Amino acid sequence: MIVSDLLQIEGLHAGYGRIEVVRGVSLTVGSGEVVTLLGSNGAGKSTLLKAVAGLLQPSAGTVKLGADDVTGVAPEKLVRRGLALVPEGRMLFGSLTVKENLSLGAYATGVDEAVLARVLALFPVLKERFSQRAATLSGGEQQMLAIGRALMSKPKVMLLDEPSLGLAPKVVGQIFEALDELRDDGLGVLLVEQDANLALKHSDRGYVMRGGRLVVQGSAVELRCDDDVRLAYLGSWHRKEQSDADMEP
Amino acid sequence: MNAFRVRQWFGVIVAMAMLAVPLVVTDRYVLKVLTFVGVNAIVVVGLALLFGFAGQVSLGHAAFFGVGAYASAFLTGTLGVPWLGAVALAVVLACVVGWAVAVPSLRLKGHYLAMATLGFNEIMSVVFVEARAVTGGNDGLGNIPFPSIGPLELRSPTALCVLVWAVALAVALAARNITLSRPGRAMRALHATEPGALAVGIDVAAVKVRVFALSAGLAGLAGALYAHAVGFISPSSFGLDFSILLMAAVVLGGRESLLGPLAAMTAFTLLPYSGALLPGIPRAVAETIQDWVPDLVGLTVVLTLIVRARGASLRFATRKQAEAGEDS
Repeated sequence: MIVSDLLQIEGLHAGYGRIEVVRGVSLTVGSGEVVTLLGSNGAGKSTLLKAVAGLLQPSAGTVKLGADDVTGVAPEKLVRRGLALVPEGRMLFGSLTVKENLSLGAYATGVDEAVLARVLALFPVLKERFSQRAATLSGGEQQMLAIGRALMSKPKVMLLDEPSLGLAPKVVGQIFEALDELRDDGLGVLLVEQDANLALKHSDRGYVMRGGRLVVQGSAVELRCDDDVRLAYLGSWHRKEQSDADMEP
Repeated sequence: MNAFRVRQWFGVIVAMAMLAVPLVVTDRYVLKVLTFVGVNAIVVVGLALLFGFAGQVSLGHAAFFGVGAYASAFLTGTLGVPWLGAVALAVVLACVVGWAVAVPSLRLKGHYLAMATLGFNEIMSVVFVEARAVTGGNDGLGNIPFPSIGPLELRSPTALCVLVWAVALAVALAARNITLSRPGRAMRALHATEPGALAVGIDVAAVKVRVFALSAGLAGLAGALYAHAVGFISPSSFGLDFSILLMAAVVLGGRESLLGPLAAMTAFTLLPYSGALLPGIPRAVAETIQDWVPDLVGLTVVLTLIVRARGASLRFATRKQAEAGEDS
């Protein structure tokens, strides 16, 4: 069963101290849907994820998970309700083994052997590295472990912050293929990604964020064709005359 | 599985050998020193959980040790509470005080947590001196009853030593179980990365408070045993220097290790008594060592941090895994 609005964010404001970074964002993520959030550095994407995940108290607006209002609910409780965050920079437990990292992913819910088997099938390399310390994994393996760890809590929605950061293209491809499979399982994914081209290729819908607000939204196909988006985030200077015109004073 | 069996049996044999030591040794002085080793082992296990596993600094553990000692001594000596009940109440009190220190200190990390707990230790040092009605002030508190359960009273140095070592062994085993189970993983997780720990649903604040209270409670337990084993306590035993010695043992013993801090603390405890323990050591050498103990301890810590910041990290159970990890 596909729920169209599993995660519903309404007019969310969040920031640090007096500095407001997210200024009224509304978006939805359905089950079995990958939604990408694009935007340049400092647009407020990571802050938005933090506010949704409960790591940051929103100053206004609501976050709903299914029918429940979960605005400002502590992260450890959100995990139990089915919202998992894969934080930027992965935040693995380096001195602990792969196995222990995965068990900790299920800290809130208890380890479900079927879920563990699913994670290891999705990322077979984690099985090979099962009793190695997480710090000894390669960057790509660490990202897989970070996603695997989040999956261990049996989330309905996963927030994924910059999974391709600093990774080789080949590994990034593997991670996005795994994402395709997870979508087929019915997982809702809110993805923040710098590699807009790749992200949109694996997404259903997308939003573009600028200055703390959503400025463009649409299906992944629409966004890939949108000239503004292409110019700003896809690195495609296809319509040269326009870009030249833009540069003139 | 077989290796696990072997290790288990090895552990049982070592434990029995350790408990047999006080039965073989007859020298009263040596028995007293061995009792101190056991008492300090209990405190250092608690601090290893707090600092070595959960990564939370405490420079106030001598104060919790003191709270346990004075509470149990006062309850038995002055109020006439039975020994077992007094020790239990002392542990609970130390836990509660630890909890009270942990809750406001939670927002602090690293140096600030160190400063807060250091301040707590200093405050308690003053309390131990000034609360004369309970502590006897600088004159100390004497005539503390021996441990007794009903008609059974433990008063021989051998019995006291066996009691302390048995408790220390039980504490070490319980701590080992904690480190290998879910709460232990949570502690190591928040040590590794707090945002990561939050992301997987660990209530970081609650884990910190619990491990702090547990650690304080163990220090209190050790303090209570110390008071009844020695029979006399005074504020000088619960000063900042003991807190620092404990931290030094955990630094030297290594992160995520129980055996390391235990070994280090044993060495630190025995060091001042080298003259009595090593027959044939020249008196001058023994006296020099005794005078220089704080310097030797400080020097070892500095060397540890320069050479190998993780400390000795004696971990028999996971050494193979760690090696496998580092090879690839």
